[in-house]
Amino acid sequence: MSRAIQIRVSESVVRTVHVEDGVQSPLEMLPILAPDRMGDLLAAQLEEQGFVRDGDIATRTDKDGVTISVDLKNASVTARISATEKVEESIDRRQSVAIERQEASEAALRDDVRRELDERIDARQEALRKDVTKKLEKKLADLRNELDGAVGRATVAALTERAASLGHIESVVEDEGGNVTIKVKL
Amino acid sequence: MSRYGEPDDDDEDELDEIDDDQIEDVTEIAQVAASEAELVMLTRAIVAGPDSGDDMWAMLCRGRNLPKKIGPTCAGLLEDAFGKVWLALWHRGGTKPRPTLTGTRGRLWERYSPVTLEFSEASVHLMRWLVATPFSAPASTLTLLHAMPLTLGDQVVVYFVLDAARDTPALRVIATQPFVRNAPLAWLGFAPELAGAAVPPFASLVTGGGPIVIEALADELARRWQATELAKRSQIDPGVMIALGEAQDRVLGSFMSACDSAGRRDLAGFVVDAASPLIERNLSPAPGKLDPTSPLSTRAQARIAAGALLRALVRWADWDQQHRAIRYIDDDYALAQLMLARFEKIGTPGVGRVQAWLADLAALTSMPTASESATLPARPEG
Repeated sequence: MSRAIQIRVSESVVRTVHVEDGVQSPLEMLPILAPDRMGDLLAAQLEEQGFVRDGDIATRTDKDGVTISVDLKNASVTARISATEKVEESIDRRQSVAIERQEASEAALRDDVRRELDERIDARQEALRKDVTKKLEKKLADLRNELDGAVGRATVAALTERAASLGHIESVVEDEGGNVTIKVKL
Repeated sequence: MSRYGEPDDDDEDELDEIDDDQIEDVTEIAQVAASEAELVMLTRAIVAGPDSGDDMWAMLCRGRNLPKKIGPTCAGLLEDAFGKVWLALWHRGGTKPRPTLTGTRGRLWERYSPVTLEFSEASVHLMRWLVATPFSAPASTLTLLHAMPLTLGDQVVVYFVLDAARDTPALRVIATQPFVRNAPLAWLGFAPELAGAAVPPFASLVTGGGPIVIEALADELARRWQATELAKRSQIDPGVMIALGEAQDRVLGSFMSACDSAGRRDLAGFVVDAASPLIERNLSPAPGKLDPTSPLSTRAQARIAAGALLRALVRWADWDQQHRAIRYIDDDYALAQLMLARFEKIGTPGVGRVQAWLADLAALTSMPTASESATLPARPEG
């Protein structure tokens, strides 16, 4: 007759998980001037909104952790967010087994515990990822309006520059709807 | 004959008067083994297509063992069944009168000189595999059908097989076979089912008998692509959408390049026919129900992938501009006029709408779906 014994397995894990999410989208820049000049005009508008220009890229990192990069040369924007978290999980499990099966049962129990730990870490990582995705989603509507405004102002600046090359600008009038009328004396 | 069925004297006289040459020769019914009979029946049902009325799923589930060789009678019956593939193609869309490259109208057999549709042993190999495979068994237990060189006739058979299995669970298994994925015609018709594998070159479909097959199937291809576009709108899984979009991009890109190289841009007309009703009804392929818990980067990628057919249409629009520049004295004038007429139903407003849809798919945030947009006309003009 075999004796029953209780085995106990205790495992813990500390892991640093890193998650990120991001989207890229083209900016609708009209080719009014040469691409380089259009990029300069857009950069000037973006710098007024806190972007820092480094070559062909203008970047800004907001308080919510979203990093916005505008590629001035290719007229595209990338919004990216990332998060790093130290995740700790531990499991303490006991099981009654026959004494002659102690080693095999302990190994099996340990495997189960480790698998469950991995699953818990994965779940925490996925939860963190969903959290950053939600933050980014929340950001995008405002970002789109902000960039549309910057692109619009850069377009007006480009049109004004183009008009100036044609003759003397007499007036630049912008109505409430955002339509701009430039009067040029040739 | 009397009313009670007994022969009377007059009937006997009539029987005596029948000459031997008046009696029709009775053709002996071909005798084949039971397994061969299934092979022949399945081949006939597949070639007959949607009109066959056979229960395809029941036929595919039998899983009958076949001997290594088939007899000459069976071979003859298979040859006879494959001989009806041209006829099947006519029934599927070859009878419609259409303009030719020279500007005259005619049915498919009036537009082309007769061409031999060649079949190789690959067709028989495929049919044998279909008979021998019990499709109701778990997919992992089924024998793989390795890739083989395919003639045009073999490709049509592969297309017919996929079409015959389209409403059965067997479609997924058949579509994953390397043999099937090696058929460019299968990709044109069933890109969603074949997505994930390498797309073969399309040269065989734009030369020789290829254009005849494509023209016969043009309406069917357009309907398939259109149905796929509509299905994108309710796609939930961004991974599936990305795989589908990538496959469609590769298929249309490669096929349209092959058409262009062969001077047969008209063969890609099904792209226009597939997109035209969607543009008219303002139905963008934007997947509005993508899993909101998936990463934003994946969803954005899926939205861009959804625009594969639209990107092909933009390429058509580029062709359209080139056709407009061809003058009366140029060699390709007739073809250019045919192409201009083909693209007329899309027109500039249609291209504008397509470009707006593409911009929406690539936008930072998902804009209102095109069907909700009030700024675009409900029906493109001119």
